[in-house]
Amino acid sequence: MKLRRIVGVALAAILTLTTFTACGGSKADGGGGKLPDATYELDSTKAAWEIDDSKDNKLTWYVNAEWWNKKYGEDFVTKQVKKDLNLDIEFIVGDDTKLNTYFASGDIPDIVTIFDPNMEVARTADKWAYSLQDLADKYDPYFYEVAREDTLNWYKLGNGKTYGYPNYSNTAEDYDSGQVPARDCFIIRQDVQDAIGPQDFTTPDGFVKGMQAIKTQFPDLIPFGFNDFSGATSSLGNVVQDMLGVAITTDDDKYYDRNLDEDYLTWLSAFRQVHSDGNISDDSFTDDSNAFKEKVASGQYATIMMGSNVNNGNSLQTWLAENPDKEYIAVDAIQSTKGKKPTLSQAGISGWMINYISNTTKNPAKAIQVFTYLLSDYGEILTNFGIEGETFTREGDTITWTPEAAEVQSGNPEEWQLDYRIGEFITFGHDRFKALNQASYVKAVWQQQEWGQQYLTPQFKVENIAPDPGTAEARALTAITTNWNTTLVGLIRAKDDAEFDKMVEDYKAFLEDNSIKEINAIRDANIAKNLKKLGK
Amino acid sequence: MSTNTNTSTNMIPVPRPSIAVRMADWGRTFARQWQLQSMVIPGVIFMIIFNFIPIYGLTIAFKNYSVISGIGGSTWNGLENFKIILKDKYFWESVTNTFGISAIKLSVGFVLPVILAVLIFELKWIPFKKIIQTITYLPHFLSWIILGGMIITWMSSHGMINDMLGIIGIDTATNHMLDAHKYWAIAALSDVWKEAGWGTILYLATMSKIDPTYYEAAEIDGASKLRKIWSITIPNLGNILCLNLILSVSGLFNSNLDQTLVLMNSQNQPSAEVINSYVYKVGLTQGDFAYATAVGLGVSVISVILLVVTNLITKKLNDNQSVL
Repeated sequence: MKLRRIVGVALAAILTLTTFTACGGSKADGGGGKLPDATYELDSTKAAWEIDDSKDNKLTWYVNAEWWNKKYGEDFVTKQVKKDLNLDIEFIVGDDTKLNTYFASGDIPDIVTIFDPNMEVARTADKWAYSLQDLADKYDPYFYEVAREDTLNWYKLGNGKTYGYPNYSNTAEDYDSGQVPARDCFIIRQDVQDAIGPQDFTTPDGFVKGMQAIKTQFPDLIPFGFNDFSGATSSLGNVVQDMLGVAITTDDDKYYDRNLDEDYLTWLSAFRQVHSDGNISDDSFTDDSNAFKEKVASGQYATIMMGSNVNNGNSLQTWLAENPDKEYIAVDAIQSTKGKKPTLSQAGISGWMINYISNTTKNPAKAIQVFTYLLSDYGEILTNFGIEGETFTREGDTITWTPEAAEVQSGNPEEWQLDYRIGEFITFGHDRFKALNQASYVKAVWQQQEWGQQYLTPQFKVENIAPDPGTAEARALTAITTNWNTTLVGLIRAKDDAEFDKMVEDYKAFLEDNSIKEINAIRDANIAKNLKKLGK
Repeated sequence: MSTNTNTSTNMIPVPRPSIAVRMADWGRTFARQWQLQSMVIPGVIFMIIFNFIPIYGLTIAFKNYSVISGIGGSTWNGLENFKIILKDKYFWESVTNTFGISAIKLSVGFVLPVILAVLIFELKWIPFKKIIQTITYLPHFLSWIILGGMIITWMSSHGMINDMLGIIGIDTATNHMLDAHKYWAIAALSDVWKEAGWGTILYLATMSKIDPTYYEAAEIDGASKLRKIWSITIPNLGNILCLNLILSVSGLFNSNLDQTLVLMNSQNQPSAEVINSYVYKVGLTQGDFAYATAVGLGVSVISVILLVVTNLITKKLNDNQSVL
């Protein structure tokens, strides 16, 4: 027995030693080392990549998504990037666990792309990344020409410096420009619309009646459909609230609980009636996104509250291609009972994928050159459309695919995605470039985009206002969100108005029990911070 | 399932030699067996690297863990995370669900493979036996992502289940996945259905080792088929039944993450959220690693206790011999 104990102790000792040596690796320290001098003459009128003639540069680039294509230098787009920048990139992909492992080891790839600006990694970027301003001043002043000031300001941390730069970051200007397409709308099949005659889908009563009319004439169709729920609120949450123009804050810029808005609840009550008339299929609550897409592609819904027609573009296009006279069209519907205009949303100023340069990189000059390159018009045109003459032709501000490219795009999506990689290398993409070519979007959504264009309204001030992960408030908010997701479906499936009202009351009580006051205080403070960043 | 584990109990008590003598003994024995011992070393190293060193990470359950500061750099906060767990409504909901679903799985899923194995064992026509085995194994090889999609379709308002109910005269258009009170049964039984065939393998392997002379002797004594099953087949499965029972009971708090993530929706969530999916949600999707680790650690401790207790009980039932 004693022998066993001795072996046990020895094993434990070995373990402890190995553990500490294993985890005693270097940690990313604040601020990073001193930046080495540039090996070329700086010129603020010219991008540094055009001046820097260093060879054999190599960077590692981590993208926090498994779907990212890791190939480099083999397709139209990255082949050109490689040639222009004299640069080899090794892409690494992974999920949050892998990302955390990198940070725990201190061995962080040169460029890091994440998706969630609320992540701790993003909020403490000053500890592990170089500030873009420092890098631009030192190596590439032209960066300021191609980066957008509003976006840089938005991503400034407490010390006044910016560390991450996102793609698809829309500024107020973009919203006004008409180059950012609207994506949410209420759509109806053209043949259904023609058959049921004039219906008023804009008022709750008219909506209920309209759905009945559809059911009578098209018993095989599901009268009203919406996006899949998949752990969230489908298109019946924010999207409907945007349709109704529900305010995002109170008049004095305090958090406003849109879920309890009177207008919104009135409409949910109408949806309850539609469900109880049998005009919403219960399967819509359990379908996943594939099931939803399949039903869209086969035209099974007479009408859809469509959240993001771009994401469902292929399904809509499939339906349209086979049934040219039955296409889904956007119409006025689901409008405020108080005369408010829709305030449709799109990608906000926070964008989507956020790119950082780690302060352990051996080649910070090349890293910032990559940012400048991809953000410049030249880089954007390359990633969105390929090479002039080979894949597209350009006349002024209009870009058209060459016949060969158009053929590959429509006939061989896989080749288009992998060998051309046009519109796929999106870490610094922006919609305003896509707007140069109408064929960036499938034809099926053109009318829908046009319908919503006038209603696009930024919601920047309420972006990322949730409490920090790991805090008691964040946990309470998770509980509330979970409860609301359940409540929302419950409200629509409620048997009568009494049950509906009781659920709303229960939800209100749940808010009170789960520190909604503390959560809202944090939200209010974060809204104030956002307004400051937006310069208001 | 060796039974000769304890030779030392048979030795005549002698005064224990000194440590030095025993160390030398140990060294000699080790030297004599070095070829065998060296074969063990890679396994031990593997265990240390992949099973023991990660244990260090569990310390974040007692910390205010921050990804940037790392495990070593985060500050301690004692039992704070555990205190929050005790007050967390959704955690307790997930515990109840895990326990409920596992209990159904244990009661049905433990017996069914035994019955199925006995039935397959009794089949004498080999081609048919093989077909039955292949068919019953098949669902095991489908991932929950695929199977889950199938089940959702079957349970939907115009799915297979409602069609079948229609045939026997029950007309209904309910979507069964939306009924929270049906979820435990759906989850447990679909899992049993998926794994029952696969679960027979160990039993069939053990049965094939039973000495056929037992059956011949029983036949001469005029035993019926059922009597033979009850008095020969089942007792011979004793050890393996105990082992499976211990493993299943200690797994009461294990839940099927894949299955839950596919089958859960906002309506059945109150009875669908299990510990694993809750830890996944809190830890990975909300980034609250310390809290999620604390939950995981607590569950592991309970599982170990269950394992030890069942082992003790089965040991008592099994003439004081552990099957582990």
